[in-house]
Amino acid sequence: MISIQVKNLNKLFGKTQAVDNVSFDVYKGRIFGLLGPNGAGKTTTIRMINHIIPLDSGEITINGLTVGPKTQKMIGYMPEERGLYKKMKVGEQLMYLAQLKGLKKPDAKKKIVYWLKRFDAYDWHSKVVGELSKGMSQKIQFIATIVHDPDIYIFDEPFSGLDPINSELLKEIIIELRQNGKTILFSTHRMEQVEQMCDDICLFNNGKVVITGNLRNIKKEFGKNTVLIEFEGDPGFLDELEDVRINNRSTNFAEIRILNGLSHQQILKKAMEKSEIHKFQLVEPSLNEIFISTVGEDNIKNKEALLA
Amino acid sequence: MNWNQVLLVLKREYITRVRSKGFIWATILVPVGFVAFFGVMVFVTVWESDVAFEIGIKDETGSIVRPLTEMNPGRYINYSNLSVDSLRTMVQQDVITGYMVIDEENIAEDKNLELIYSGSGGMQLLTSIRSDVREVIRQERLQRAEVSEEIQQIYESRISVDSRRLTRTGEETDDDTAFLSIVGMILGIIIFAAIFSYGGYVTRGVIEEKTNRIVEVITSSVKPIELLTGKMAGVGALAITQFSIWIITFFGLTAVAGPVATMVMDQQTAGLGPEAEAAQAELPMPLDLPSLEPSLIVYFVIFFILGYLLYSSLFAAIGAASDSDTDVQQLMLPVGSPIFIAYIIMFHTWQSPDSLLSVVSSVIPFFTPILMVTRIAITEVPFWQISLSIILMILTFAGTMWLSAKIYKVGILNYGNTASYKDLLRWIRQS
Repeated sequence: MISIQVKNLNKLFGKTQAVDNVSFDVYKGRIFGLLGPNGAGKTTTIRMINHIIPLDSGEITINGLTVGPKTQKMIGYMPEERGLYKKMKVGEQLMYLAQLKGLKKPDAKKKIVYWLKRFDAYDWHSKVVGELSKGMSQKIQFIATIVHDPDIYIFDEPFSGLDPINSELLKEIIIELRQNGKTILFSTHRMEQVEQMCDDICLFNNGKVVITGNLRNIKKEFGKNTVLIEFEGDPGFLDELEDVRINNRSTNFAEIRILNGLSHQQILKKAMEKSEIHKFQLVEPSLNEIFISTVGEDNIKNKEALLA
Repeated sequence: MNWNQVLLVLKREYITRVRSKGFIWATILVPVGFVAFFGVMVFVTVWESDVAFEIGIKDETGSIVRPLTEMNPGRYINYSNLSVDSLRTMVQQDVITGYMVIDEENIAEDKNLELIYSGSGGMQLLTSIRSDVREVIRQERLQRAEVSEEIQQIYESRISVDSRRLTRTGEETDDDTAFLSIVGMILGIIIFAAIFSYGGYVTRGVIEEKTNRIVEVITSSVKPIELLTGKMAGVGALAITQFSIWIITFFGLTAVAGPVATMVMDQQTAGLGPEAEAAQAELPMPLDLPSLEPSLIVYFVIFFILGYLLYSSLFAAIGAASDSDTDVQQLMLPVGSPIFIAYIIMFHTWQSPDSLLSVVSSVIPFFTPILMVTRIAITEVPFWQISLSIILMILTFAGTMWLSAKIYKVGILNYGNTASYKDLLRWIRQS
């Protein structure tokens, strides 16, 4: 079943085509990753799904309904630029946000108490948000996002700015939500997070969808043509290789994508001449590699951010 | 627009503000300030400046100096026997403030007198010297002309005009123009200050949501226009609360303070003779309040609310376009100037409320809230002018709200830089 369906979506800001004929489907009960460098159009797309900004053309449906005030209530949204009212008390703030999402007061109260207790934050109920530590207010932010118990969760760059403890906590929340049959869409420019968590992905670049689909299938299509090598000694052999792309290179590690039928045995041979091999593995390409090989290195916006 | 959402926003805006320390303090301190202000005013009227300015008179004619020193013994001193040089030295050494040489030509030939002085004393001193000298020289000339006593009395007569108003319905009432002028000016100033301060609340509220980065969380549940409406209405409700408290306190205080103060004054002046009583009669204002017409208060409320709506919609747009409090200044200019212009025109309107300038500016929507209230307080404003100004304000408000909603919608999600006027135009077209 499709939770979020995006069809031929377009958004123009002045002369910039921020989102260019974008289509993808997010299935119920799965984790969907929206990937791409900064400025690729992820946030704009997410804002349109949340009915925060209007779309120019195309269609977005949430559980079959065209986006609007009604579908907003089906979504729990945590934006990249997030925050809370600093001068409001935690409890009142959560109550306000829950009511805006259409919850009735007694119902909201029960849920707020449940989540505050769940996150060991019940004592903060009457504290003003401005007095909380950063980590504490991040927890309150999670609660604000999920308190109205929606079907669909959208997190825009959820891990940016989180401390490690809350990063872990959020991962747990996301996985738990998925187990309960909820749909999760999150965006990130960090490929490894997607590889760890996502069922399906959609790769963005310059406002366009580059690839979308099931992560495993996408990887399979690219075949096992990537070598992970760990070695000790002279890394000079890496520079002698032709028709390969080397990602993730460090003093004793490299990820080598074979581009043109070069045999991996040849790589091994060359490597052995110069250095001692600790590990040599043939794997599916990383998402990063898939992304680069699809759009071409020159066409990537913010390459540094992507490779970070 | 979903009014449930608007109501939720309104409630939050209202409750968090009404409970804030700033609000509570302002509510208490403003009336205290007002009382202090009136206290100072009474003080100023009662205590004439008692700094003495001594003016040396060198009278060559011998007939002017005596009446002058009699008229104001503390001020004019007879130095006819001193030379001009020593008078100059005395001025330079601050022994006296200044000196005048009076000779025959000044009396017989209308020649202007010359006051040589250190420059202190200001307008008030110059005016009073001028009138004293004028009076004394006129007396002297009348005497020399040997006119009859009767004619001398004619010169001394001072007929004044008492005014009473005749209303349309044929009632004749006491004319309180002097009092009402002050009321009109005060009401104008109050609206001026209120628009700025409550408008400022709206601007800061919008910026706060932007800098706190909560606005995107909110807009994922609420339409920008609902958020904007709720915010404006919430601050508006706050304004009405605060004003109600002040108005009730004000009428409560004057109801009690008036009689009490008069009683105290009566006791004090009882033994002081007619002079003190006369002095008391000259300071009627804060103690002896002519009644304000209820319609004035109704109009004040109407124009205050309309003015607040009109300007706060623009103030919200400023907030949406700014990235921080400090950036507000540059965008404030086009919105702030009409209020300031109205404020300046008010000082003209206050004196001639029915001049063409006053009438025309009072129906210009951006000036109306200040000028119309001032005019209504002071003069009989034709009903068509009032209705016209109200209609124009409502229409303009619809326009500014439409404009502001567009800027607001884009602006609240625009982080990191303050919009230029070019950006604003683009936003308006874009949404």
